[in-house]
Amino acid sequence: MCRCWGPYWGWVPCAPTPWLLLSLVCAAPFGLLGEETRQISMKVISSWPNPQNLLHIRAVGTNSTLHYVWSTLGPPAVVLVATNTTQSALSVNWSLLMSPDPYGGLMVLPKDSIQFSSALVFTRLLEFDSTKVSKGATQPSGKPYPPYSLAEFSWNNITNSLDLATLSAIFQGHPVDEPTGAFANGSLAFKVQAFSGSGRSAQPPRLLHTADSCQVEVSLDGASPRGNHSVFGLEVATVGTGPDCPSVKELHSIDDEYAPAVFQVNQLLWGSSPSGFMQWRPVAFSQKQRNRESAVPCQASSLHPTLAYSLPSSPVVQAFFGSQNLCAFNLTFGAPTGPGYWDQHYLSWSMLLGMGFPPVDALSPLVLGIMAVALGTPGLMLLGGGLFLLLRHKQYSEYQSIN
Amino acid sequence: MEEEDEEARGLLGDRPEGDNAVPGAPRALPALCDPSHLAHRLVVLFLMCLLGFGSYFCYDSPAALQTQVKQDMQVNTTKFMLLYAWYSWPNVVLCFLGGFLIDRIFGIRWGTVIFSCFVCIGQAIFALGGIFNAFWLMELGRFVFGIGGESLAVAQNTYAVSWFKGKELNLVFGLQLSMARIGSTVNMNLMGWLYTKIEASLRSPGHMILGVTLMIGCVTCILSLFCALVLAYLDRRAEKILHKEQGKTGDVIKLTDVKDFSLPLWLVFIICVCYYVAIFPFIGLGKVFFMEKFGFASQSASAINSVVYVISAPMSPVFGLLVDKTGKNIIWVLCAVATTLVSHMMLAFTFWNPWIAMCLLGLSYSLLACALWPMVAFVVPEHQLGTAYGFMQSIQNLGLAVISILAGMILDTRGYLFLEVFFIACVSLSLLAVVCLYVVNRARGGNLNYSAKQREELKLSHSE
Repeated sequence: MCRCWGPYWGWVPCAPTPWLLLSLVCAAPFGLLGEETRQISMKVISSWPNPQNLLHIRAVGTNSTLHYVWSTLGPPAVVLVATNTTQSALSVNWSLLMSPDPYGGLMVLPKDSIQFSSALVFTRLLEFDSTKVSKGATQPSGKPYPPYSLAEFSWNNITNSLDLATLSAIFQGHPVDEPTGAFANGSLAFKVQAFSGSGRSAQPPRLLHTADSCQVEVSLDGASPRGNHSVFGLEVATVGTGPDCPSVKELHSIDDEYAPAVFQVNQLLWGSSPSGFMQWRPVAFSQKQRNRESAVPCQASSLHPTLAYSLPSSPVVQAFFGSQNLCAFNLTFGAPTGPGYWDQHYLSWSMLLGMGFPPVDALSPLVLGIMAVALGTPGLMLLGGGLFLLLRHKQYSEYQSIN
Repeated sequence: MEEEDEEARGLLGDRPEGDNAVPGAPRALPALCDPSHLAHRLVVLFLMCLLGFGSYFCYDSPAALQTQVKQDMQVNTTKFMLLYAWYSWPNVVLCFLGGFLIDRIFGIRWGTVIFSCFVCIGQAIFALGGIFNAFWLMELGRFVFGIGGESLAVAQNTYAVSWFKGKELNLVFGLQLSMARIGSTVNMNLMGWLYTKIEASLRSPGHMILGVTLMIGCVTCILSLFCALVLAYLDRRAEKILHKEQGKTGDVIKLTDVKDFSLPLWLVFIICVCYYVAIFPFIGLGKVFFMEKFGFASQSASAINSVVYVISAPMSPVFGLLVDKTGKNIIWVLCAVATTLVSHMMLAFTFWNPWIAMCLLGLSYSLLACALWPMVAFVVPEHQLGTAYGFMQSIQNLGLAVISILAGMILDTRGYLFLEVFFIACVSLSLLAVVCLYVVNRARGGNLNYSAKQREELKLSHSE
């Protein structure tokens, strides 16, 4: 666990190198300098004859472009590519993509402009029986039920849920063939939202985003759990950049203004900053009205290298990277006691996904203002009072007593 | 009354045990039974200390069971803090009436018994609210508990003044306060553990377990009620034997006196209110703060939350002695308020071990109590003292009632950092008032900051 007290009155990455220096020295050749604003374009690339979801989000800055290619061909996946030119484009070859060996079906051209590329795949929806927790760390969430493979879900048509005003799109799906009928009235949704500038979302956990990031909101609604105290989880796989798998860092922050009672930010960096990043607050919400009462803890396991065949494969990731071994980790939402999925059969969790420098939270101006007044006023008063007494003393010392 | 006739007969006639012999009669009482003897008065002191134990034990039971109350009764922090607000509301008015009720209406003995009954019944209703899963019943229970709680403290003090005089009195007050704080500490550390034990053995819904736990806490109130009854008996017996007057609070409350209060006194009131609203609501919400920010387990979080009380139990007499010996009350108040400010800042802006901050908080809380309350006696003439103290208690309770709810609301919407910043703002307001008080006192040549020697000289010159 890293505890770092940083120059922004909040958390800083625990890398010993000051990231400001890094940004000046190393970012320039990478072109991931962290743009203030970007032009966002969202395009649904349609296939023929079987419609498959392929959404291309292009965020163009002054001298860099970020590509997010979202698809539900297979399990929901996103390919992240950062290029150092404004002219890079995505090329899709559907016949290759749909073939057994899709490598080359997805390309970002020109290839030499690619500064960073990786992918994120949401492979399985996990469910645990939290009443049967065995002693020891093997299954801290409980006894697992058979997971739902997200490759066997059927998804909505993305064109219908694309909203260009808010730059968002929703992928909503349920299992194709489900004998128990758990998803009869339920669905799993991924809401993807891109941003053209920095800001803070209005909904808890109110993540701070920049133009270099997009927000992903995962919500499970209405699915019937298989037990009375089921805890759900998500298995996520990434393409590692290097021999070792990246690790999830827990950054401690004093600031819980925007996510009450959550003093931690979890961060996954694919390499040393600036690089691809995943950032989230370890909290999920068990009610549509997201407040402190419905907050449930979110635990992330460590990333372990996984052989490609043991996970549901994503043709989109294979199309860009070829056959790669992936790094997988589990996210679980909830605890055996307290609020949970069982309250309203609802669960929602948000994260940021981006390339460049992860956003850094800072104290709000209101807090800084109150502190300035609270500490400054008594000090000023003491000074003023001292001066007043000194002047009075001088004034009275001019008198000479008669007797 | 029949009992009095019996007793009169007992005094004149033979009785099997030598309990009620008249002093001066040929047969002397054993030391333990002689009201004028130290041994008997120690027994009475013990009972007086236990009198407040139940009330202070149960006052902080919401804080010790915060998570459980919020989960089992399905309430947010704002509604949870109402449990503290309802305790304070009746005391806004009762602080003025307490002395009057004891002196004119009930008498000290019946008054103590009645207030102990209120405490007992209030806690029982509070527990029943848990058993029947009715939060409004819990709020009613706290209201009834509040009616008895603070007035019981007034009664306790009146007993102390009646049985102990002069130099002993400070020690007795100190011991009573220490015992009260021990009650709070035991509550903090015991109730959470008790809840888990009952949860393991009972297969009931959460609110039932909560109710049962609180009902067990009610046992301490029954203990206090028993002490009240025994004390009433012993006090009446002592009155008969020693021919002493029934204790009176001596408080003369005249609300019109409020317009005569001087500026230094109003500043003392502001210091008091702004300081205590940053302590008690914080302790009420502290357990979950330590669990969520610093990652403490439930039991350790309760322990650290009780540190303020644990420290104040032994340190109050020590600081009392210190302030008595050195004087300079304003400087001590300044130190205490500044230390509290530092402590809150440490808790808000760092991850340093909270034991340090809480120890500092405990020390400064004890120091402030010893230095601030006597200041009222320095600026107010004796015939207005009752009104001044009553007013101070009243606005303190008003502040606590309002700020408790506000603190709950802030926590639900803005989180712990903002809540701590809010408390820092309150303490800084108190600090501002202390600084103003120092300047005003200095400018007017007042006596609030006299050293002990100067005060002795003043007393001597007045008595000449």
